Amino acid sequence: MTKKERKLVSLAVSLALAAGTVPAAGAMHIMEGYLPPMMCAVWGVIALPFLIAGFFSIKRTLAHDRRAITLLAMSAAFIFVISSLKIPSVTGSCSHMTGTGLGAMLFGPSAVSILGVIVLLFQAILLAHGGLTTLGANTFSMAVAGPFVSYGIYKLCQKLKVNRHVSIFLAACLGDLLTYCVTSFQLALAYPAAEGGMAVSVVKFLGVFAPTQLPLAVLEGILTVIVMIALESYARPELRALGFEEG
Amino acid sequence: MAHTHKHAGVRAIDAFAYASGLNGWNPTFKVVLSVGTILVCLAADCVPVSLAVILSMGALIVRRGGLPLHDYIGLLGVPLAFLLLSGAAVAAQITSGPTGDWNLVLPWFSVCVTRASLRFALGLTLKALGAVSAMYLLALSTPAGELTSVLRRAHLPGILVELMYLIYRFIFILLDTHARMKDAAESRLGDRDFRTACRSFGQTAGNLLLIALKKSGAYYDAMTARCYDGGLAFWEEEKPFRPVQAAAALAYWAALVVLALAVR
Repeated sequence: MTKKERKLVSLAVSLALAAGTVPAAGAMHIMEGYLPPMMCAVWGVIALPFLIAGFFSIKRTLAHDRRAITLLAMSAAFIFVISSLKIPSVTGSCSHMTGTGLGAMLFGPSAVSILGVIVLLFQAILLAHGGLTTLGANTFSMAVAGPFVSYGIYKLCQKLKVNRHVSIFLAACLGDLLTYCVTSFQLALAYPAAEGGMAVSVVKFLGVFAPTQLPLAVLEGILTVIVMIALESYARPELRALGFEEG
Repeated sequence: MAHTHKHAGVRAIDAFAYASGLNGWNPTFKVVLSVGTILVCLAADCVPVSLAVILSMGALIVRRGGLPLHDYIGLLGVPLAFLLLSGAAVAAQITSGPTGDWNLVLPWFSVCVTRASLRFALGLTLKALGAVSAMYLLALSTPAGELTSVLRRAHLPGILVELMYLIYRFIFILLDTHARMKDAAESRLGDRDFRTACRSFGQTAGNLLLIALKKSGAYYDAMTARCYDGGLAFWEEEKPFRPVQAAAALAYWAALVVLALAVR
């Protein structure tokens, strides 16, 4: 283990210990049946333009190079598998990565949006994470907002010449945090507080999920950095073929 | 299957779907029944209907589907963490002073729960569980490949259908590959402590992507060698649609609606 890796991992250990009392929790998928039908439709409509843009981007890629079809499918399967793996934890709780930040950095945010909706559908059907009617809301938070912000942060850090590993960490971690904030906002919009309305409700949902989501976001950032270090050591040509630019 | 692990692993639900006694039903009908029941449950928005949906869907999955009750209850526990946390957020009110039926006074504010808010949160949780049961009817009886073919018949763009077919297959290929790498790492004490486990996780994931990319090239070549020119055709078992089932579904929804109206 290199010195940098060791430092990162010790940081993760202390954070995980801090969150040691937290029970099992997965990523922030809004469960089936948790949103009123109207909200489901609204979030579906909001996510649609991004999906259409993603669809055209994929269509263009495929028209240019038909070989990309298995590459895209493998990428989506990879995101699915990464998000279904139990990540290491001290307490034995069962948590998962979202993989959106990693996906956005590797494959680009518009491709991830359309692959993300397929992954989310399979997550609902194969893992019982998320749902069918809440697919629109989950797509917006996990396949649109998260990846676009992750990618934006990553590009911004590159422009500002931030250390590569720090920028990967920030992109993955903040992307995850944003997903959690968007989901809390979506839940609050559906269930505003009787006293104080939506703003208070956002605070409630943020507060309730914070103990599980904050350490998870940090851990997601750290694991993403370790994955990228592994990729950079063994898979430079493949990374270049994906269009991942090295800083 | 070697890696069917208890906490609703990917393989578990997929294996249940293939083994289900409801697998012979027409997949389009199952999609309509499942989504229709979810919508009725959400629209009715009352406890008796939610309970009726939870029980009837559970009975259908366990009795007709042949899924062991123990496994089904385990699966219903998957959304538990989400439901408990969100339920707590919905039930609790944040106020400046102690009010409500139960309250907890904290330095700057107090958290209180009223009977009404508690009842609302319970109703919401039951409604969500009802919808989850209806979704399970689909998930636990319809393999994802068949679901994709339903979407194809519903005129989803060809590229997406093709991607879905491939992704579904690749997921299991990558899971197998990952299971083998994980076994290799574990047998070399790769998760003896948290720090090593993180490192193993990251390196395994990185390696998994590398292998995925290599395999994607090999699979494309294999597909082209078998005359792939942009259209995937899979053999599908014919599962005829039976009008009796449609009538039963309509009667079921009607009964739920009547129940909702009777309670109101």
